[in-house]
Amino acid sequence: MSRWLAPLLALLIGIALGLVYGWVVSPVEYVDTTPDTLRADYRADYVLMVAEAYRTEQDPALAARRLAILGSQAPGEIASQGLEDARRIGFSEADLDLLQKLTTAMQAWQGETP
Amino acid sequence: MKRFPWLALIMLVLGVGVGVFYSWFIAPAPIQETSPHTLRADFKDELRSLIAASYASSGNLERARARLALLGDADALAALNAQAQRMLAADEAFESVQQVARLAADLQKPPPEPASTATRLPTRTSAPSSTRQTAFVVPVTAQTTETIIPEQIIEPPATLSTPTPRPTRTSTPLPGRAYELIAQDTLCEAGLQEGLLQVLVTDARRKQVAGAEIIVTWDGGEERFFTGFKPELGNGYADFVMQVGVLYTVRVGTGGAPVTNVSPPGCLAEDGASYTGAIRLSFQQP
Repeated sequence: MSRWLAPLLALLIGIALGLVYGWVVSPVEYVDTTPDTLRADYRADYVLMVAEAYRTEQDPALAARRLAILGSQAPGEIASQGLEDARRIGFSEADLDLLQKLTTAMQAWQGETP
Repeated sequence: MKRFPWLALIMLVLGVGVGVFYSWFIAPAPIQETSPHTLRADFKDELRSLIAASYASSGNLERARARLALLGDADALAALNAQAQRMLAADEAFESVQQVARLAADLQKPPPEPASTATRLPTRTSAPSSTRQTAFVVPVTAQTTETIIPEQIIEPPATLSTPTPRPTRTSTPLPGRAYELIAQDTLCEAGLQEGLLQVLVTDARRKQVAGAEIIVTWDGGEERFFTGFKPELGNGYADFVMQVGVLYTVRVGTGGAPVTNVSPPGCLAEDGASYTGAIRLSFQQP
């Protein structure tokens, strides 16, 4: 029994090391990803870009279409999430103001759209 | 003498192999927290268009430049020009194409000089939470009584201990002066397409300018196109085929000085036969 204990333990330790290496140290790098998998700060910056463009274009349908590539939620929710992340990350007041305006516009637009 | 534990060592190596195989091929780490450079090509196009639209609104070139850098293109300028070409081919909205082309053009401008000697460089860095390769750097400049060049570095955003406010956007960079015609050449060369109008645009330092908008108008028509779509002929090159008997007006950008009465020239071949030649207009920023 004790003869097999050491190899068995070694196998388990090896598996654990292999898993740590494959999941944490050198995880699979994905390519051709979709925007909904972007890290929170990149998503927040994407929403900020939409907000910056919306400030001039004033086209809520276009802004909603741009936000839609970040996920299947309603545009108002995506904008609101972007605003929340931006606050957490520490965007400037001017940027937060733009995001707030976009969020409000998206929520109003959703209300108008059947 | 105690024997070396070969069996345990073999089992350890085998275990590592099994673990790596499982974590890479059977149950890889889920897709999450990716960065823009891993996006699919069509989403990168979407992002470039959005960066251009955002730049058109804010005029913040440094922020646009930083955002483009996140896409990981080897040559952001070439990527923008190629995308503008694809957008034109796909008959996308002219406004969107123009925004992309304008960003490409502005990227070639030298960075603005600081407005004053006072410079502050606030930096914000959050603690990393996982394996992250690229930092998210968005430098922004502001031109007020002093110049503020804050730089935001956001690595993984899990725990943000000491947030520093993001800087406000900069003022719009001053546009360059209008392009002026510096040369008009008649080209009677074999091999050139008949009635070809070649336009060459350079900046004040005689460097070819990609993404410059060329506006050609004639009685009852108008055509707009951009330089840089034929990089093999030069970044500042663009062309257009004129019809014989039509007078064209050509200018670079909406504020450029118009060149009027441009029409295909007549040329004489060695055997005395006449044919239609080409014209080259060279514009430069004064």
